[in-house]
Amino acid sequence: MSDLGTAGTKRSARHLLKANAWFVFAFLYVPIVVLVIFSFNDSERVNVWQGLSARWYGEALGNTQIVSALRVSLIVAISSTVVSTVLGTAVALALDRYRFKGRRALDGTVYLPIVIPDITMAVMLLVFFAEAFKLIDTFGPRLTLGVTTVALSHIAFNISFVAVVVRARLDQFDRTLEEAARDLYATPWRTFRRVTLPLIAPGIAAGALLALTLSLDDVVISAFTAGPGATTLPVYVFSSIRQGVTPELNAISTLMLTASITLVVASLALQRPRSTTP
Amino acid sequence: MSSDAVTSASPPGADAGVPAVELHGISKRFADVVAVDGVDLQIGDGEFFALLGPSGCGKTTTLRMIAGLDIPSEGRLAIFGEEVASWPPDRRPVNTVFQAYALFPHMTVAQNIAFGLQMRGIRGPDADRQVAEATALVQLEGMEHRRPSQLSGGQQQRVALARALVNHPKVLLLDEPLGALDLKLRQEMQVELKALQREVGITFVFVTHDQEEALAMSDRVGVMSEGRLLQVGTPAEVYEHPANRFVADFIGRTNLLEGVTEGPSAVRLDAGAVVAAANELAAGSPVALSVRPEQVRLHRRGEAPGDTPCLDGVITDATYLGHAFVYTVAIGPTAGASGTNAGERAATITARSETGSAALAAGEPVSVSWSPGATTVVAD
Repeated sequence: MSDLGTAGTKRSARHLLKANAWFVFAFLYVPIVVLVIFSFNDSERVNVWQGLSARWYGEALGNTQIVSALRVSLIVAISSTVVSTVLGTAVALALDRYRFKGRRALDGTVYLPIVIPDITMAVMLLVFFAEAFKLIDTFGPRLTLGVTTVALSHIAFNISFVAVVVRARLDQFDRTLEEAARDLYATPWRTFRRVTLPLIAPGIAAGALLALTLSLDDVVISAFTAGPGATTLPVYVFSSIRQGVTPELNAISTLMLTASITLVVASLALQRPRSTTP
Repeated sequence: MSSDAVTSASPPGADAGVPAVELHGISKRFADVVAVDGVDLQIGDGEFFALLGPSGCGKTTTLRMIAGLDIPSEGRLAIFGEEVASWPPDRRPVNTVFQAYALFPHMTVAQNIAFGLQMRGIRGPDADRQVAEATALVQLEGMEHRRPSQLSGGQQQRVALARALVNHPKVLLLDEPLGALDLKLRQEMQVELKALQREVGITFVFVTHDQEEALAMSDRVGVMSEGRLLQVGTPAEVYEHPANRFVADFIGRTNLLEGVTEGPSAVRLDAGAVVAAANELAAGSPVALSVRPEQVRLHRRGEAPGDTPCLDGVITDATYLGHAFVYTVAIGPTAGASGTNAGERAATITARSETGSAALAAGEPVSVSWSPGATTVVAD
């Protein structure tokens, strides 16, 4: 009897879980599908369907403000990803294998940018840049907020995310492999190049992808630390929403979505095991 | 691993010229733990040497110090006369077969084997030829393009061997290389590894906790316990003449009969008998008499040859093993012997006899004897 009861409970639990999975799926993807469909809407108004057209894509790409914002976004995203991937990987390696003074403190604080609210981080960085500029200005050069400060801010939070992802990969890394390489006449550097780096590369790639995505997504920190002429695409979209949602924004959003998906697919392909040529 | 081509037959033994490995007062401390404590050891060129001991005895740390993966806290370490204690592992002419093999998972079998050659700048056809030779040596032809994860444990072990041997190291270090294999494969690999060592003529230093494996494979054995090297000798020496109680107990099965010495040729057993046993200890030293089970002879009470000194006892257990019987015999005060003295304590002896002889049953009164040469007096 109790067996039957358990089986029944199990069955209904399974159905419930299945329904839940579909609900979550719909919750996540229906808005996206709607967005994509309406980006091909011919109508001037966002919520009135008038027929299929790619006209808003043309309008968006013809808009110099959008193109310039896209350019800023790409410069910031790529430069901050490259720098934060290198620095974040270095931090993860240092925390993983060396015992040095202040290691515990660094271990605790390196992840802080992940937990502190964006707005706090944004204000913090703005104050920092203002004070730093004041100091540097006394020596002559006049510095202002711009693309560089946005990129620096993105590096500041991206280092933490890269470090977390790489560290997780390092936790699974078998240090005996490095000993084997050293035993087989590899210098410490070549051991890193030929054994450690290839094996933690998926973690580094995942960290870099996360950094790129976060940088392309960021609004709050970018808005605070950008000067004139350094408007990123999300900041532009956010500010133009105040004049009402236009089909043009749907088109831009769809383009950003396509870019993100392409990045994820590329990264997954990179992470697949493949043969390395010696 | 063909055993037919014995290309090099350098005589094993520590006395053949410059020792392959030489340790002088080597110690290793980790924080406040002494892992290796003042080890002196010489391993001869071409020797198959086993470092044997229970886990945590310091044998692996000793091996890692020879490899350069751990740096000694104290002492001198020479490989073929060259002082290497402070050299990094990539400069030492030794290679290691790691316990879990440590094969590079992102490389194929051939790439794994070629790694050491590449690091020494050997590339192209010359490297290809050497990799092919090493692959053939361990019978892995056809597996070159597989990845370690696609191989069985035994095959991975062969890759690890080939990856080390392709470099023609002066000394090959093996850290429990057969530990991860099942019993049957393990026994096969013991034979193959021994044949391979004869074929390549390289000095092997083999770490194991399995005393049977150490005795079966090596030219000489070093027994370690708690960071110290207790005894070094041929398997026969270590088995037949253990240097102390630990070695006697650890190597093979033995009976350790407690007693005290009575002069240079006799030991008074706690079980209440004085038996002949040569020793060099002062009279009255507490010792144990080590008697191997296969050296113990059992006679039905009263049937022993007249001139043989015997201990009386009673069989408490008889186990049939197919090829042999194993008997447990209680001796001493409770075993029905006459004239029990104060201070005498009961003991048990394990005896082993071939199944051809007449079987004895539990409860049967017996006399136990052995030839005096078959025993060793061991102290702590």
